[in-house]
Amino acid sequence: MPAGTWYSGEWGISSLASRLLGVVADARLMRRGFHSGTPRPATWAERSTAVPDRPSDLAWARMEPVRSIRYGIQKGLSAPFAEVMTHPQIEGSEWVQQLDRPAILVANHSSHADTPLLLHALGDRVRERTVVAAAADYFYRRPWLGRVVSLWLNTFPFARSGGAQEVMHRSSVLLKSGWNLLVFPEGTRSPDGRLQPFKPGVGHLAVENRTPVIPMHVRGSQRVLPKGRNVPLPAPVRIRVGKPLSPGAGETSRDFADRVEQAVQALAKGSTSPELTGSWIERWKASDKRAPRPRARLAPEAPE
Amino acid sequence: MARPGAVIEVDRNTPPTLFHYGEGFRLERLPLGSRIVYPPDPIDPIGHPERAIRRALSNPLEDDPLKELLRPGMKLTIAFDDLSLPLPPMAAPDVRGLVIEEVVDAAARAGVEDVELIAAISLHRKMTADEIRHIVGDRVFTTFWPDRLYNHDAEDPSQNVLIGRTNQGEEVWLNRRASESDLVVYVNLTLVPMDGGHKSLATGLGCYRSVKAHHTVDTLLQSRSYMHPPDSALHASCVRQGELIEDAVRVFHIETSVNNHSFPAVANFLQKRETDWTTGDQAAFFALKQVTDLAPPDVKRAAFHSMLAPYGMTGVNAGQVDKVHDKTLENVRRQMMVPVEGQTDIVTLGVPYLGPYNVNSIMNPVLVVCTGLGYLFNLYKNKPVVREGGVVIIEHPCRYEFNAVHHPSYVDFYDEVLADTTDPHEIESRYEKRFAEDAWYRQMYQQSHAYHGVHPFYAWYWAAFTLQHCGDVIVVGGDRATVHRLGFKSATTLEDALEMAEQTVGRWPSITHLRTPPLMLCEVD
Repeated sequence: MPAGTWYSGEWGISSLASRLLGVVADARLMRRGFHSGTPRPATWAERSTAVPDRPSDLAWARMEPVRSIRYGIQKGLSAPFAEVMTHPQIEGSEWVQQLDRPAILVANHSSHADTPLLLHALGDRVRERTVVAAAADYFYRRPWLGRVVSLWLNTFPFARSGGAQEVMHRSSVLLKSGWNLLVFPEGTRSPDGRLQPFKPGVGHLAVENRTPVIPMHVRGSQRVLPKGRNVPLPAPVRIRVGKPLSPGAGETSRDFADRVEQAVQALAKGSTSPELTGSWIERWKASDKRAPRPRARLAPEAPE
Repeated sequence: MARPGAVIEVDRNTPPTLFHYGEGFRLERLPLGSRIVYPPDPIDPIGHPERAIRRALSNPLEDDPLKELLRPGMKLTIAFDDLSLPLPPMAAPDVRGLVIEEVVDAAARAGVEDVELIAAISLHRKMTADEIRHIVGDRVFTTFWPDRLYNHDAEDPSQNVLIGRTNQGEEVWLNRRASESDLVVYVNLTLVPMDGGHKSLATGLGCYRSVKAHHTVDTLLQSRSYMHPPDSALHASCVRQGELIEDAVRVFHIETSVNNHSFPAVANFLQKRETDWTTGDQAAFFALKQVTDLAPPDVKRAAFHSMLAPYGMTGVNAGQVDKVHDKTLENVRRQMMVPVEGQTDIVTLGVPYLGPYNVNSIMNPVLVVCTGLGYLFNLYKNKPVVREGGVVIIEHPCRYEFNAVHHPSYVDFYDEVLADTTDPHEIESRYEKRFAEDAWYRQMYQQSHAYHGVHPFYAWYWAAFTLQHCGDVIVVGGDRATVHRLGFKSATTLEDALEMAEQTVGRWPSITHLRTPPLMLCEVD
């Protein structure tokens, strides 16, 4: 600190006060100069929509130290909160425990609570390698919101209208990089909890990448956080995980998407047919923690 | 080497004695010369339970190894004991879960597709999903619940079949799935000698018509005691039923026993003798006593029922029921037996917060009688610790409180039946049938988590021998009106109770305090 009296010089109190006043003045200027939420003056030109910014692929959210921070948030906050609020009953979790290659996780969608609950159901090992497709026009409209959900849930922007090729390409890259992909093929939250028709994109993605699809169904999340409400309420939730489905030889993407939709519907109805949930012996062996697992491969097998 | 149980005589240096008092405690100074019976310390558990279980399944007693009994295409049923055992519930992993996992593993390796697991609840309440999960473990639960893992339903006519009648005319009913199975594997946990053996299957998967054959006042009066099966008419009846079941169904019986390590580290001082309490134990007790004195019952209950016991497995045997049970009883007696010289005029007991029928629930006044006078009093071999005509003094708050979901028939039993009479014979002849066949109780047993309508009667019958044997029963610290409804005398302090008891047994009585839990079995000369 330079010599001088306490009230003068570069670090003197009068200098600091003038800097602080400068900050205040700047803030006042900005506040008065820009208006948010007010009607756009008629004299101004129309807002341009021609070339939207290329959305970031949010690679930072899948790198350290963000992954460790996210792990801490999910283990320390999300998981206890989910347990206390919903006491989730998870059935068929062995099917995700035994994943040895990236998969597409497909679930119904009726609440914002679905994503944290599904991630909670996946268990640490799978959750840590799972990205979530989040509506670009909803979550990424505001950059700060996009960053928060990406940090918390490892989401990436998934365009619901336009840019299908771009989205498919980006999803394929993630799958090939060893990430599981959690998608909600209904496209939006169900207003009444009933299953809505699936969009065919999930079929394209699975067939193109020869990736298995794991059907999942969440029941009860709508009572926790229904559409239009922001405060969660406690309610019991059941999460069912079905046996992985793989596209058959010669099966079209649309047919496969239909099969996935039927599997989720069957899980919703509580069907326990071995075709859907596997025989108990298959599930028992799948849940064997003592058996050595094959080393996880970061890239799926090459398409035939 | 664990320290054996002991009988010590109270002298001037003896510290005050701990009495369990529902969800609380009392420290009492017993008169000089009184005896205190302490249970043995927990014996060393088996170091590697999974390995011991695999060894037992491979080398069963008078039976073929399990894997030789399993084949593809067969129908396999695994039945297991419910949450009434052990007390308190065992900290995870429960030994039944470990055994079931090995059995299921063997079935998976053998390719047995048709496997079902049934909780042998008999007339107890149906367990919740979480309670079943705690017993069988996560892996078994997620694989089988709810279609292939469920509670037995003793009131569903389509789910129970008549196997036959014993030579004494006792009806034998069995769960239909078990009766139609190629193999029934029963997984038992024996805490006290009363459990296990033929009683497991005959009672656990039976229904009211088979259970009522031996749960009668006369049978229980002829059992000296239920804790010593060779002298128990109840067990003789169960053996007759079990042998009939063995003739009809292929049974592979697995029994486990645990030590008496009943309290977790936080309440370890409850496991110790008062003379062993360190300054830390004394401080912990003092703090717990202050808290339990002040806290409302619901809070105390929630805290106590969340305590799980760190039991260690002391034995596992598989094979033919009788052979297995003999081995198990050896292990149980090794842990529980305490030699006691001679009978006494007065026995004192503290009744804790937990009995077999109020796990995660409320110990209502009828269950206080069942636990104190039915079970704790009968933890003897040869003859009771108290002489005939002696006095039993129990300590419990005896509040008028019931769990409406678990014990609906208990409320009516208390309000209606006990208001009329407390005589077990009269209760049995006048009221049992009506409660047992009541459609509303049946509905709640089947659809909810209620004990069967007849259950409070059985709870009361367990105490029939004590009521007949003793000259008086005095409850210390109990709600006066409730104690009178139960037909007992009420005292505010132990000193008052001893004064009252002298009117029955005479001046200068001999006094014995049973310091339990942990549980013990008094072998009285």
